[in-house]
Amino acid sequence: MAPPSAVHLESAGCLTALGDARATHAALLRGEIALRPHPVLGADGGEHVPLALATGRGFDETAPPNWIDGVRALAVTIPGDGWGTARRPVWVTSSNFGVGSLYAFRRHGDPAHLAYGTPHRSVEWLAHELGWGANVTTVSHACVSAHLGLLLATRALEAGLAERALVFSFDFISPFVAGGFHALKILNAGFPAPYAARATGSIGLGDGAAFAVLTRDAGDFTITAQSLHNEMHHFTANRADGAGFATCLAPVAAAVSGRRVWLKGHGTGTLEAARLECAALAEAFPGAPLTGWKGSLGHTLGSCGLVELALACEAIRAGRAPGTLGSDGPGFRDHVAFAPLDLRGTDGVVCTSNAFGGAHAAFFLGHA
Amino acid sequence: MLERQLHALSLADAGAEDLAATRERLKDRFPRGATRRMTQLGLLLGAALDDLAPQPGDTIVYASSFAETGALEGYLDSFPTASPTLFQTSIHPSAVQQALIARQHAVGEFFPLTGRAHLAAQALQTALLAPAPRVILCGGEERGTWLLAHRAASDRTFAFALALSRDPAGSLARVTLAPAADDTANAEFTLPDFFDALRARQPIDQLAAPGRRLGVAWI
Repeated sequence: MAPPSAVHLESAGCLTALGDARATHAALLRGEIALRPHPVLGADGGEHVPLALATGRGFDETAPPNWIDGVRALAVTIPGDGWGTARRPVWVTSSNFGVGSLYAFRRHGDPAHLAYGTPHRSVEWLAHELGWGANVTTVSHACVSAHLGLLLATRALEAGLAERALVFSFDFISPFVAGGFHALKILNAGFPAPYAARATGSIGLGDGAAFAVLTRDAGDFTITAQSLHNEMHHFTANRADGAGFATCLAPVAAAVSGRRVWLKGHGTGTLEAARLECAALAEAFPGAPLTGWKGSLGHTLGSCGLVELALACEAIRAGRAPGTLGSDGPGFRDHVAFAPLDLRGTDGVVCTSNAFGGAHAAFFLGHA
Repeated sequence: MLERQLHALSLADAGAEDLAATRERLKDRFPRGATRRMTQLGLLLGAALDDLAPQPGDTIVYASSFAETGALEGYLDSFPTASPTLFQTSIHPSAVQQALIARQHAVGEFFPLTGRAHLAAQALQTALLAPAPRVILCGGEERGTWLLAHRAASDRTFAFALALSRDPAGSLARVTLAPAADDTANAEFTLPDFFDALRARQPIDQLAAPGRRLGVAWI
């Protein structure tokens, strides 16, 4: 399958535990770690695990959800209007939506939480709060969700079904999702050290929301070579030979051949996936430095692809990309960058994400 | 206007059947031992997908408003000792993943969608924009228990899969999605509406999403 042609990125922004895209980028360059130890089940207690919550937001669910203020603040920075109308469609991507509200309802019985618990109720409420029309498509493929939204928006633009497209992603962590990753034992008392060769793997989880406005011809950046692959080998493990990573990266590598790229990887802090990811990226993009930011921000789940896209734009504008946070190394491979990257002379960045089921997603972000 | 030909269709309406009965009925459709942890929606979708014999180059589009309700209810009930199995099974695209992982069947593009009022049209648009020669559009729901009592789950259990291509030879129906002048938000056409129309082989010609008119003309 031929990758789609270029789509322009008119604007991108994000919200993390460190603030908006500019503030987050600056804090990551300073090496700040947003993750803090919190009881995994919030008020219900449990082991302390690394979580990165948006400023002022409590971990325990409220009704209405307490993440809406941060989302509103982000949404006012989206350029243009008329979102959700026929020619200005919206793709909402998430893995959590408002599912923390269902946890709160089941634990405490307050029916007020039910208004936000299912994906469509949370998105309908979000659309109402942000003043969008009804042309909102919702994508849910765990931690590659945002990449799918970008590709679907690209295709709608290419087909002439949209004049501009908005991809919006939000994932705010709750005891529901923290409890799940804790049960899988990859969210534990340890702090994540993505790509670092160490004995025990661990992840952190973080709040994240982000947007991207895509057009056919306006904006400083282009997104090309969007690639997807689903191994369907195991729910929580990749094929041991790394073939899933390689299959997804091959068309991207072909598309950027001869260009000087840097790599923004997935890098959650688990060990085997990181080993495979490092090897596949080194093979596909020889000599390209690899960085990842979940060691500070935590894993923002279905929103990570869009959060990290906004941060990559900031990095390119500033000429410096934060290095991999959470460790000083050594990494699984020599190309892991633990110090900030000087981006002078580079042509763009390959951004990748991965998800349950052996799902892989990648694209190239370059100058228009 | 976007257009494809519908070439194969598999429908499953489980009615009042429970998970154990569905598992017993469909156990021979899956590799030995694979059904033990599969959900009812995973079993039904897996059988429907199997009827269409997915190929590695197919794009798969999956639509469900509520998805893995049984696993979600079980996971929520497992606290404070959260179940890792039910957590991973409760994620939205799990039904398709259960089926394809059981067969070790890799796919390139897989688009799991959710929503409600416009979900059928949005899934069809996703399918009709995919460049793959063949696209499998599948979907379904499973009936909830305590979440249903709070209107946070489906009241029906069903699944479907259909194959779309550009080849008119042997087509069962012509599927179109056309721009429509009417941009109102009242164009509700849910996944159960779509399933019922497919089951009855009922022609469809209606506003199904803002600015989108859905057509299914049976041949």
